[in-house]
Amino acid sequence: MQGNETKKARLTPMELVIKYGFLVLMAGLLLFFSLSSEFFATPRSAVFIFQSVSITGILALGVTATLVVDGFDLSIGSTATSALMLSSYVMVVWEMSAMWAVVFCLIMGALVGLVNGLLIVKMKVPDLLATLGMMFLLVGLQRIPTEGRSISTGMVMPDGRVTEGVFSPSFLYLGRHKFDFFIENLIPVSVVVLLVLGVIVWGFMELTRHGRLMYAIGSNARAAELAGTNVNRYKVLAYMISGVLASVGGILLAARLGRGDIASGNNLLLDSVAAALIGFAVLGAAKPNVFGTIIGALFIGILLQGLTMMNAPYYTQDFVKGAVLVVALVFTFALSKRGGAH
Amino acid sequence: MTLTRRLMLKLAGSALALSAGATAAFAGDMPAPFDNAGDVKIALVRYLSTGDFFQAYLSGVETQAAALGVDLRVFDSRQDAALQADMVDQAIALGVDGIIIQHGLTESMQDAAQRAIDAGIKVVAFDVNVENAAIPQVEQSDRDLARLALEQALVDNGNEFVAGYVYVAGIAPLDRRDETWVGVKAANPGINEVAMFGTLDNPIANSVANQARSVLQANPNITVMFAPYDEFAKGVKIAVDEAGLTDQIKIYSADVSTADISAMREPGSAWAATAATNPAVVGEVSVRTLAMLLAGEDVGASVIIPPTLITQDMLNDNDIKNMADLSAKLPQFAHADVSVPEWMPLPAR
Repeated sequence: MQGNETKKARLTPMELVIKYGFLVLMAGLLLFFSLSSEFFATPRSAVFIFQSVSITGILALGVTATLVVDGFDLSIGSTATSALMLSSYVMVVWEMSAMWAVVFCLIMGALVGLVNGLLIVKMKVPDLLATLGMMFLLVGLQRIPTEGRSISTGMVMPDGRVTEGVFSPSFLYLGRHKFDFFIENLIPVSVVVLLVLGVIVWGFMELTRHGRLMYAIGSNARAAELAGTNVNRYKVLAYMISGVLASVGGILLAARLGRGDIASGNNLLLDSVAAALIGFAVLGAAKPNVFGTIIGALFIGILLQGLTMMNAPYYTQDFVKGAVLVVALVFTFALSKRGGAH
Repeated sequence: MTLTRRLMLKLAGSALALSAGATAAFAGDMPAPFDNAGDVKIALVRYLSTGDFFQAYLSGVETQAAALGVDLRVFDSRQDAALQADMVDQAIALGVDGIIIQHGLTESMQDAAQRAIDAGIKVVAFDVNVENAAIPQVEQSDRDLARLALEQALVDNGNEFVAGYVYVAGIAPLDRRDETWVGVKAANPGINEVAMFGTLDNPIANSVANQARSVLQANPNITVMFAPYDEFAKGVKIAVDEAGLTDQIKIYSADVSTADISAMREPGSAWAATAATNPAVVGEVSVRTLAMLLAGEDVGASVIIPPTLITQDMLNDNDIKNMADLSAKLPQFAHADVSVPEWMPLPAR
């Protein structure tokens, strides 16, 4: 990595490594996969990568929002799968429209975030514990209405009724439609949603006063409070953002699967946390940041896509994911301190 | 988590109400101890319980227990191996006459099962080997599942095709299905497996879809996907649909659920066939096998439930929409002629 850097600017080599090392690593990875698989470097392949990370990417934005205020949301994975079940339930069992499914899910996400936030700021429950409790609660709750069955049209409900409702085409559109972009049917809706949400959350965090206050709370809540910030309100807001983003992820997941699949969502949680943490290392930020989170999610997506094309089994993929995370954390903590980037 | 007898009666009642026009099959006099069936207590000790398969298995156990008129207790350890062993001891303390062990680990269940035998209790094991000669094993034949699906693949595609294969090693049923796939490949050298992938990251279908799409991108010449687990098949189907390759690729899988049926029946669906054992039937057979033991009959060391091949054409021709339709319209799926002595009352259909 270091060999690629030259001493052009006033930055020392160490600072250059910290700032651009991760992006160089990613470029190297792209080059490597392009050379080893002839199908890797195609526009469709690029879009696949975006699509495969779009849901974890959206969740990772939520994780980032809570990390910014020095919190942590363990319940995002199960919030997403709860939204998956809720949207299916609304359409298949209650036979309501796609719009209601989306509205119910967003409200649920906001409520989950609100409860998380209130538990943390009012009840003084530590963030990890409060959201851990919420995680278990949701994993159980999402299964109660169907007694643990997956939801699909024609399923038999616990009371013996056969469901008649269907996933409406406009809902499936969210998961299956692709916009034309130079090439026909190229960009899936979920990718557009990720990019739009990414820009919105980025703008909120980096450009508005609210975003800057949230960063201030994250670095020193007491100082922010003394400076007159309503710390509790911003913390609750961060968890609500996280909950709503998680429910958006769940909606997109439901639209892609076309059924309400029971799942714990633990992998969603871990992958999105990994993306947000890798994001710390991007551009030497050494703090949670939206741009880094998206790059982190893409990084994982590129790795998994490339490894799958090369027929690497799933456990090597987990191994590589872990290795990337460790390297990123080293970039963030050890190198940035030694290099004096702060 | 015990079921009261009143709840059992309700369940039996609703099962009856469900199957319109069906008549309860009343066998003649049942041998002891079933002449006083209400006094017979049996326990189901479960290791796995989340998911459609296990829900259906439980309903099969419940309906067969209701048909016999015995008192059923359900113990659910939710993938806690130590707890499952403790639950066997609880069942012994409760004075049950018979125990069904549903899944679990050989290491943790072996001693517990022996304690039950020592207490004079009859034990049946489903899909777990407790290495005990006194305990018959109820099994769905994973090898037969894979064989049926692959035979159909050979009928549909000839014996020369480019294949993709979804597999995660180290999961016992998938390993057994893999043995069949390896055998079929050896017997048909024209089968060219260009990609093997798979993951159990949940939601499984979503993770497999991401992988399958990379595989399809890297190997555009694949015409057959063998995905011997329905969650895998669902994922592959999503990827095939997204890549717009529905006409080119056929998917063969194992297991079935209501959601699988609708996925197979989508217009132009790539999911050609699946082979499955009805989990409810497996549950019924487990109870029947235990009942035979209690009546002092010999059931042998293992009781194997044959699977059924389900093709897209069968579903469309019979307009099958869900699992209930499948049982109603494919009789071979609704009932397995296993462990049925003359006196055995069968659940109403």
